[in-house]
Amino acid sequence: MKKLLVLWSLVLLLAGCDSDQPTETTVTLDNTATAEVNQHYADHPNLFTFASVSDLPEDLKWEDGMPLPDIGSPKATKGGTEYSRLADFPRTLRLVGPDSNGSFRPYILDDVVMQLAHRHPDNFEFYPGLATAWAVDRKNKTVFVRLDPNATWSDGVPVTADDFLFMFFFFRSSYIVAPWYNNWYGTQYTNITRYDSHTFSITVPEAKPDMAARVLELHPVPQHFYKELSNNFVDFYQWKFQPTTGAYVIKDKDIKKGRSIALTRLDSWWAKDKKFWRNRFNADRVQFNVIRDTPKVFEAFKRGDIDQFGLNLAEYWYEKLPDSDDDVRNGYIHKTTFYNQRPRPTYGLWINSARPLLDMRAIRVGINYAINWQLVIDSYFRGDNTRMKTSSDGYGDFSHPTLEARPFDINKAQEYFAQAGFANRGPDGILVNGEGYRLSFTLSTGYEAFKDVLTILKEEALKAGLEVRIEVLDSTAGWKKVQEKKHDIHFVAFAVGLEMYPRFWETYHSDNAYDSAFLDNGEINPERRLNTQTNNLEVIAIPELDSLINQYRRSESKQEMIALAHQMTQIHHDHASFSPGFVQDYYRLGYWRWVKYPDSFNHKHSSGAGQLYVHWIDRSGKEETQSKRESGQSLPAQIRVFDQFKL
Amino acid sequence: MQLNPQTIKKLRRFREIKRGYYSFLFLAGLFVILTLGELLVNSRALMVSYEGELYFPTYTAFHPGTDFGLDYRYEVNYRDLQQSFRKEGSDNWVIMPPVPYNAFENHSPNGIFKPAAPSINDRHFLGTDTTSRDILARLFYGTRIALYFSLAFMICVYLIGITIGCAMGFFSGMFDLIFQRLIEIWSNIPFLYMVIIVFSVIPATYSISARIGILLTVMVLFSWTSMTYFMRTETYKEKTRDYTAAARIIGASNSRIIFKHILPNVLSTLITFVPFTIVSAITAITALDFLGFGLPPPTPSLGELLKQGTANLRTAPWIVTAAFGTLVVLLTLVTFIGEAVRESLDPKKFTVYR
Repeated sequence: MKKLLVLWSLVLLLAGCDSDQPTETTVTLDNTATAEVNQHYADHPNLFTFASVSDLPEDLKWEDGMPLPDIGSPKATKGGTEYSRLADFPRTLRLVGPDSNGSFRPYILDDVVMQLAHRHPDNFEFYPGLATAWAVDRKNKTVFVRLDPNATWSDGVPVTADDFLFMFFFFRSSYIVAPWYNNWYGTQYTNITRYDSHTFSITVPEAKPDMAARVLELHPVPQHFYKELSNNFVDFYQWKFQPTTGAYVIKDKDIKKGRSIALTRLDSWWAKDKKFWRNRFNADRVQFNVIRDTPKVFEAFKRGDIDQFGLNLAEYWYEKLPDSDDDVRNGYIHKTTFYNQRPRPTYGLWINSARPLLDMRAIRVGINYAINWQLVIDSYFRGDNTRMKTSSDGYGDFSHPTLEARPFDINKAQEYFAQAGFANRGPDGILVNGEGYRLSFTLSTGYEAFKDVLTILKEEALKAGLEVRIEVLDSTAGWKKVQEKKHDIHFVAFAVGLEMYPRFWETYHSDNAYDSAFLDNGEINPERRLNTQTNNLEVIAIPELDSLINQYRRSESKQEMIALAHQMTQIHHDHASFSPGFVQDYYRLGYWRWVKYPDSFNHKHSSGAGQLYVHWIDRSGKEETQSKRESGQSLPAQIRVFDQFKL
Repeated sequence: MQLNPQTIKKLRRFREIKRGYYSFLFLAGLFVILTLGELLVNSRALMVSYEGELYFPTYTAFHPGTDFGLDYRYEVNYRDLQQSFRKEGSDNWVIMPPVPYNAFENHSPNGIFKPAAPSINDRHFLGTDTTSRDILARLFYGTRIALYFSLAFMICVYLIGITIGCAMGFFSGMFDLIFQRLIEIWSNIPFLYMVIIVFSVIPATYSISARIGILLTVMVLFSWTSMTYFMRTETYKEKTRDYTAAARIIGASNSRIIFKHILPNVLSTLITFVPFTIVSAITAITALDFLGFGLPPPTPSLGELLKQGTANLRTAPWIVTAAFGTLVVLLTLVTFIGEAVRESLDPKKFTVYR
């Protein structure tokens, strides 16, 4: 969920840039901030309720997730330094606010901070984090939580229910300059009730099938740390590391701006002996050095300066670090492919159906048939990836069971283009219509790394008489372009978190396409204007789809939601404004022999090898490997494939 | 045409400097070859004989497969056509250019897009790049674009530089003063950054030729200034010479003095700079492509090839070798010519170039 949130928040951040700045000024003193917080609680009695333990309902069914299997391997040993790299130095250490949504965020928030409970990476059930027990009251749309009495922040201060009350104040305040957070915490939760310092409940507006996740995946905010809250928040906390509930902290002396940064394991971490946590976060220190160029990173890895290197790209897996490479053959570097299961990033072509010509369905269907993803998959990815079927693959029952993406078919493409008036070819082989207009669109992207994929698609589309002009932008400019809906066709993917069911409102609801898409009588509003800064990149506005989305958002029945999801996926497919690209159902990496992984390597729903921190550094193994490598003694090679979760 | 005996002497001296002269001949030949490139490096056939009729597809509109009895309506794959004609043993035949690939198509003998080593059998004489495009074809057309580009660049820069520099020297006074200050300010704007900034704001919906035009304009706008210094001082110098004064007394107009008297006398200094301007233009456009701010993909370019080459140093050394080799040869040739030009225009014949 979080990664998705990240994207949304980026979107809304951009959207909120011109919103009113908070006008009130606050004196930055401890007691003043506290007073303001307390006043806020008093001003919003519906949201913040104070009760006593005796008010707790009695018939609650408490769960604690303890029967779930351990995570990681009991063989793991603590210690050692893991060397890693960053493509760019983080622009801030804040967890919220401008620039906080960068690629460093997983290392200080997403992958390391403890939530109340987490989805088990094998079973999808919840295992405890900060909570020791929780109870879901679907009737009252409320989740009750008991906090672990031992839970502390990294500075030793206990984690209490007050940190969760403060979390609502904090994320709803305008100081943090994070409109997405303001909106989410302002609309997705209706009440928090504090029963005692370690017991509270949170109520959500709708009892969705995954309502427990909405609450249990929250992480608290340390009230004692944010003593000073003012309009200067963004600058004041720019390089301050917020105390964490997780295992890793960042020390001031390890921040070398522009060059390196390091995570240090807390020896006294409160959860270090807890089931689910004891075998993880093993390295004493994770050292990140900034190396921008991927080829340079690879050279650093081959020198042993970096411990692990992702080999997802075929050219690295097959060419640059082939099985016959000396270091691999002699067993110094191990190679592993791990098949995982989770919703996939939506790599595909997003067609702006508000553009001239692209607003004709026949053209869009034609484009879908003219795009040769299969060639890219077979020849460029060497058959390792698979074709994406719909934009909501990987959600189990919620994904459409039978729909398939349209294959590359020149004849069908030409048929559909002819329907739209493009029947004849010009002197250069591109189709033209009666008015002499060429069938030509811009295909833009913010992913420089994928430009080869686009050039292959371009060459193939020529066969169907379609010209695509490629525009490779840097990532920020690319994102800006689609957010302003200035694209014809854009290649991008939304990172999708581990969620139970796909979202439709953000990408397909007409509210995100136009300011007011339809008149009251249901007809198209002739004066409607594009809504920018939303994720409806295809500018879809279909009244029928809108009502299904609304129904889906309100629905509290899993079966009904599944049926709705299928129906909506079908409508989206028929609309043909998305050309599903490819899916990578594995991750693979190379790592030096001193990096160890559990026997089953990793867990089913893991997104990457490092996400769950189940690996460890074998310090004696490092010395042994290095000395053997120097003296040229070979070790058994290890090239493994873990396909136990392959579908 | 009647040439000035001085000029003839200079030309003769240029011919005597063998290194520069042969470089010039080589480059001129290369230029002709590049201009006629479609006949040498192309996926379209030079000549097709089908059912008794002759086709010359190189410079014409495309021929759909149906023209040659195939079942598709997109452009014929002439290589396949050649194969199938041979297999059929019919009277039909196809003559392909020596390098039967264009700069854009992904052609891999084994169906996997990856760098392939040079191979005479596959007719990939310099191998293929990371998406199985023929390197020789990309290099060929990349060089052509770079050369054309630098020539156009040179002409524009000299036109502006000479005009303004000459005017500054000739009119002097306030005009000179103001322009000098303007040029000082203007030339302090870092050129590479400006190109990067300008290129990040212009939309790529523009066609490739329009983008090349914009790149050219931006580069010219920030490069003409250095030319004016030489022109200005030279004009100042010549202006005070007796022959100019004589012309003035006879009653010659300003334009006559500039174009008939001063310009021919200062040109020899300028011409020595020409090759080096070309070198810098080639380097600049290659650098920009290398950084990803030059021509939009998939336009073939030396810089893009260099970038691919450095990223695949270990696994595909032929990419970097080809691109780097071409660049070195090209720049060396131009430098040799430049040296020879300078020497042949040098009035002191027996000095040594240090």
